[in-house]
Amino acid sequence: MINMSNSKFTTNELMAVTASRLLKDGQNIVVGLGLPQVATLLAKSTHAPHLNIIFEIGVVNPESVDTGVGIADPRLWYRSDYFTSFIGSLGHILQRGLVDVGFLGGLQIDKFGNINSTGVHEKDYFRHINGSGGAADIASYSKNIFAIAKHQKRKIVDMVDFITTVGYLNGGATRENSGLPKCKSIRIITNLCVMNFNNQLREMQIESVHPGVTKDQIIENTGFDIKFAGDLKETDLPDDNEIYLLRNVIDPKKLYI
Amino acid sequence: MNSKVMNLIDAVREIPDGAEIAFGGFAITRSPVAFACEMIRQNKKDLNIYQPIVCMATDMLVGAKSVKKLSYGGGSLDRFGRMERINEAFENKTIDAREFSGLSLTYRFLAGSLGVPYIPTKTLLGTDILKNLLDKKDESVMISESPYGDGEKYVFMKALNPDYAVIHAPYADEKGNVLIDGPVWDLELAKAAKKLYVTVDQIISNEYIKMHPEKVVIPNVYTHAVIEVPYGAYPTAVYKMYDYDSDMLTKYAKTNKKQEDFDLFIDEYVTGTSNHNEFLEKCGGISALNKLKADPVYGYKKVWGDKYE
Repeated sequence: MINMSNSKFTTNELMAVTASRLLKDGQNIVVGLGLPQVATLLAKSTHAPHLNIIFEIGVVNPESVDTGVGIADPRLWYRSDYFTSFIGSLGHILQRGLVDVGFLGGLQIDKFGNINSTGVHEKDYFRHINGSGGAADIASYSKNIFAIAKHQKRKIVDMVDFITTVGYLNGGATRENSGLPKCKSIRIITNLCVMNFNNQLREMQIESVHPGVTKDQIIENTGFDIKFAGDLKETDLPDDNEIYLLRNVIDPKKLYI
Repeated sequence: MNSKVMNLIDAVREIPDGAEIAFGGFAITRSPVAFACEMIRQNKKDLNIYQPIVCMATDMLVGAKSVKKLSYGGGSLDRFGRMERINEAFENKTIDAREFSGLSLTYRFLAGSLGVPYIPTKTLLGTDILKNLLDKKDESVMISESPYGDGEKYVFMKALNPDYAVIHAPYADEKGNVLIDGPVWDLELAKAAKKLYVTVDQIISNEYIKMHPEKVVIPNVYTHAVIEVPYGAYPTAVYKMYDYDSDMLTKYAKTNKKQEDFDLFIDEYVTGTSNHNEFLEKCGGISALNKLKADPVYGYKKVWGDKYE
């Protein structure tokens, strides 16, 4: 982790703010709990008041006042616009092609943006941890994919142990060739940097480095030989309003930030 | 009136060993815990379970060695923990585990409920989920092109009409018209099943249904049995009825990590009790349940005071 003890914000707050700013007003977002939800709510309370937030369980645009333990927690469903089924959320909205951003987490992400949320190889067996839920569906049909992850050698890897959700598969046009719809962009936001895949090979590259983070730190904490974009930037700092909203309105119990 | 009311013990007796059965519920909400506990008491074996996202009841059935095959789309106990009995059975290959995604497995039920042979979708293409299913020669997936000649590749998810389905709902009438507030992720499996068993917290009058037909999410044409089991999803939540019990879920998420601890839990709470009321007594009884009553607006136990405001 980077040392931000002297600065006015934490790494998680910076990640939430960075992700939030990548969302555009009016977009339809499918999101899971945790930092992705925090980032989405922050966007909705700042520059993107017309976001539609869709949860796979069949809940649209809730306005929770108590933090839930998962998407099956009725705390999350408070003041929703719409209740439906998987078919209603992941079928009629997502597969129909109406989702701009699918916002995921996972155990591992690889250099072509594939995400593993199923399990990991241990010495002599495959340790099963969770599974897809709606993640495979979301990555198949969202026009853009965002993910938030911890930047560690065992998490940002050359190849995931299990492809639960497809990013750019093996790079180039292999995603489309597998029969999946095109994915316009993938963004990975970690505690060290923001990464995209905006090159011919569709291979992970560093788009911006968080303030106070060195290139060596990123190289050391990545499981393969990571490339830096030609127009490498420094990640913009959060502003006071964003930090205020995160701490006092969006996650006052500090469950995620 | 054509009543479909049954008691829990008789209803569970109708489910044979080896039954093909779809479960409703999702993680820590509307999990048919009472039904699953009775299945464990009756020592059901070799079940073939289907569930888009697994819930607590399914982890209990797997831990109790009642399950031979499980087709599911993943799941956890949310922040309380993981489905450790399922994970271990998966890792040790003591059950035949078939993984899908939430949507793809639900499409099997949707196709079944519509009476069509399959639903085409692009989800699962390129994933190891699909690769594993094809390697296992799973009957439910086939990669094919659209018959309309656009050259597009799809996964054809085969229709499934399971012999049985079990869901938990807050209310139904005696005829089997079912009301569920909140999201309804398990409608398709309920409508696809040949025999649908619904445990409900309360049986209500048909007069109420006649006044509010728009609230019925599963009409009685699908329902085989209505079983009144107050707190039948406890310790998981039923929106607008009762909250999940954090203490019990925390306890379960500890005991399900190791088979020995899980077995002790089942001995004490499930096979050590003769019915759901005794199970509830064991878990703290009415004083524990009174702490879970949902607020009618929030839908969960609203705690007031500085700490939460």
